[in-house]
Amino acid sequence: MKLDPAIRDQVLTTVPSLRAFAISLCGNIDRADDLVQETLLRALAHIDSFEPGTNMPAWLFTILRNLFRSEYRKRRREVEDADGRYAETLKSHPEQTGRVEFEEFRTALAKLPSDQREALILVGASGFSYEDAAAICGCAVGTIKSRVNRARTRLADLLAIDGVDDFGPDRATRAVLAGGGRT
Amino acid sequence: MKSGKTVNIEPPATNVDQAEARDAMGRPIAQRKNSEVRLGREIQARIGQQLRAMYEDVVKQGVPPHIEALVRRLTDNDDGVA
Repeated sequence: MKLDPAIRDQVLTTVPSLRAFAISLCGNIDRADDLVQETLLRALAHIDSFEPGTNMPAWLFTILRNLFRSEYRKRRREVEDADGRYAETLKSHPEQTGRVEFEEFRTALAKLPSDQREALILVGASGFSYEDAAAICGCAVGTIKSRVNRARTRLADLLAIDGVDDFGPDRATRAVLAGGGRT
Repeated sequence: MKSGKTVNIEPPATNVDQAEARDAMGRPIAQRKNSEVRLGREIQARIGQQLRAMYEDVVKQGVPPHIEALVRRLTDNDDGVA
């Protein structure tokens, strides 16, 4: 297949973000890379259906997400990261956020229903607009907004309960805030 | 996806619960709500930060060589696609 190099570059430019999304869906690096490869195979086989000038990332994310829904989701999500490859991959995690806190965050994120998790990641990490995220997930904009809100609320609950000392304000600040109503 | 790093992680500014919260005398319960909202905001800010950090860790890895090779093989010549 001969392809406009500009289009090919758009595809390649999207790959890092596509991988990040795939990993957040699969919870496993190897499976995520398989998913990305399969997505690219499909996309390039159907590149004629991509309208030049439209949103390439949104197009690729849609394909990946549909593929994940139809096939990968059946397989069990490996939250535990048994072989430690996920953790290994993330060794460059910024120092200002502690290791323990980050692990707690990842565990909490894994507890979310998948539709809420994907909505939160598309909007909060990938940087898609609510409109693009809705198009990627094939649902209404209002549905995406509600999923994102529920995801954030649930995460806050999980993290507030599980990691009082590790997450958010330190204990002293928290005590002050918790005693609110008297200040 | 926007090319800039803008992310819509902040919640909508409107807060219906807060607007409607009243005590037994019908007065707005602003005092207690404020502290809860503040705590909520701090946690949400941390959530947004963690979310982006987790994502960026992978993005920073760029395009794995085998994936780049795959894309180029599929797009560079007429024989690449089965």
